Amino acid sequence: MIQLFHLFKDFGPNVALRDINLRILKGEFVFVTGPSGAGKTTLLRLIFGSERPTSGQILINAINLNRISRSNLDRLRRKVGFVFQDFKLLPQKTVFENVALSLEVIGERRSFVRKKTHQSLRLVNLAEKEQAYPLSLSGGEQQRVAIARAIVKDPLILLADEPTGNLDADLTKDIFTLFRDIHQKGTTVVVATHSQELFEDSGQRTIVLKQGKIVEEK
Amino acid sequence: MKLRRWSYFLRQALMNIMNNRLVHVIGLGTMLVSILLFGTYLLLFINLNAWVQGWGHSLSMSVYLEEGISEAKRDMIASWIKSLPAAEIERLITKEEALKELRRVLGDQAGLLEGLSANPLPASLQVVFEKGEGQRIDPERIKKELEMLEGVEEVQYSEDWLKQFKGLMRLIRVAGVIIGGFLCMGILFIVTNTIKLTIYSRKEEIEILKLVGATDWFVKMPFLLEGTIQGMVSGILALFILFAGYYLLSTEKIHFANLGVFDLVFFPHGYMLLILLASVALGLVGSLIAVRRFFDI
Repeated sequence: MIQLFHLFKDFGPNVALRDINLRILKGEFVFVTGPSGAGKTTLLRLIFGSERPTSGQILINAINLNRISRSNLDRLRRKVGFVFQDFKLLPQKTVFENVALSLEVIGERRSFVRKKTHQSLRLVNLAEKEQAYPLSLSGGEQQRVAIARAIVKDPLILLADEPTGNLDADLTKDIFTLFRDIHQKGTTVVVATHSQELFEDSGQRTIVLKQGKIVEEK
Repeated sequence: MKLRRWSYFLRQALMNIMNNRLVHVIGLGTMLVSILLFGTYLLLFINLNAWVQGWGHSLSMSVYLEEGISEAKRDMIASWIKSLPAAEIERLITKEEALKELRRVLGDQAGLLEGLSANPLPASLQVVFEKGEGQRIDPERIKKELEMLEGVEEVQYSEDWLKQFKGLMRLIRVAGVIIGGFLCMGILFIVTNTIKLTIYSRKEEIEILKLVGATDWFVKMPFLLEGTIQGMVSGILALFILFAGYYLLSTEKIHFANLGVFDLVFFPHGYMLLILLASVALGLVGSLIAVRRFFDI
């Protein structure tokens, strides 16, 4: 599903990733961990296609991101859900509208958009807050809206960047349970996190990054 | 493209306009003033042109007769004139009537004529060419043919005046094209900047739309619609205001340079459509420029 070959990424003089070789199978659940600045976010952004590698190859579902056209990248992103560290919710839109956006841009039918958005919000336990605006929600609720938006289009791959960064232990557990449920439906899940409690006892594959290199795989 | 997409684009465009009301009101107002300026100019041109054309069609001509012309010859000239298409002899001015008229025109100075031993003024036929005959009158050709007839001394019509006016009309037309060109550039500048501001105000949303898989055109389309709507509304408002102005003025009879009643005309349908299409096109092109220049995601 995701294949990375000799991947390097520089930001000027700073090397963010060096010689990353990784293969994530369809339906796998993978944690990417490491200290701040290890390159976790950069790795996810490269897989998502919002950054281009300095060198190396990225294959998503057998499509080479180095050779993909702009419009095909847009189409590929419809199959990939991304949960951003800073949520990236639109404050002037309601919870419902934020989640529905993912389907509206694909041009789905209104009735289908409504049905799927309700389903998705029920899954993250936010059905009763669908008319609320993001800024009136707690950090954990905003995170769940971001997750609902990422999963509403039934993505093949779900990427999550520090999804529990600002949450307490109970909420972290809830979010992890949510990811596990999504994974059990067949979605490939890649979660970048530095919170040990999330991956330590999970029994899932964990990749440890340090200074842009894979130093350990569990 | 599917209908529901267009309804989404339209909703987004209207929402953009509502969220950036002030910018749009200023942009629309400036665009409206520009179209009004050009429209007023065009309307003046059309009216002057119609008036000059009309004047050319209702041409009057004075055919001066030779001294001591026989009645038979005079009748022959008269019947020759009557055979011309659209021509009508308004009246015959005899030598005596001509002198009487001159006396009237001179008024207090009529004493000057007392010293004359004989009446030097020729008799003349006043000919009018009626308008609406659907054919162009060539006064120069008629003048030449008439002057060749026996008994005709001279033929006069206000040819120079007409020629000068037609020259002026050409000048007005060229000036109109130049003014129109500058106004179009101004309008493009206004629309581009209005759309640029709305793009900036939605930068965050555009980024998120791209991240959830929207194509470039999906994100750009509402902005293009925004410019098109701005152009269309400005065009319609400008035509409405111009028509209101025309309606108010046309109820009054306008006199122009002591040359008679000046009947106002409004744009023909083709011109109205052209103004509307040009406004829409300017709005669309302006927003296309903005989208191409300021869309960097």
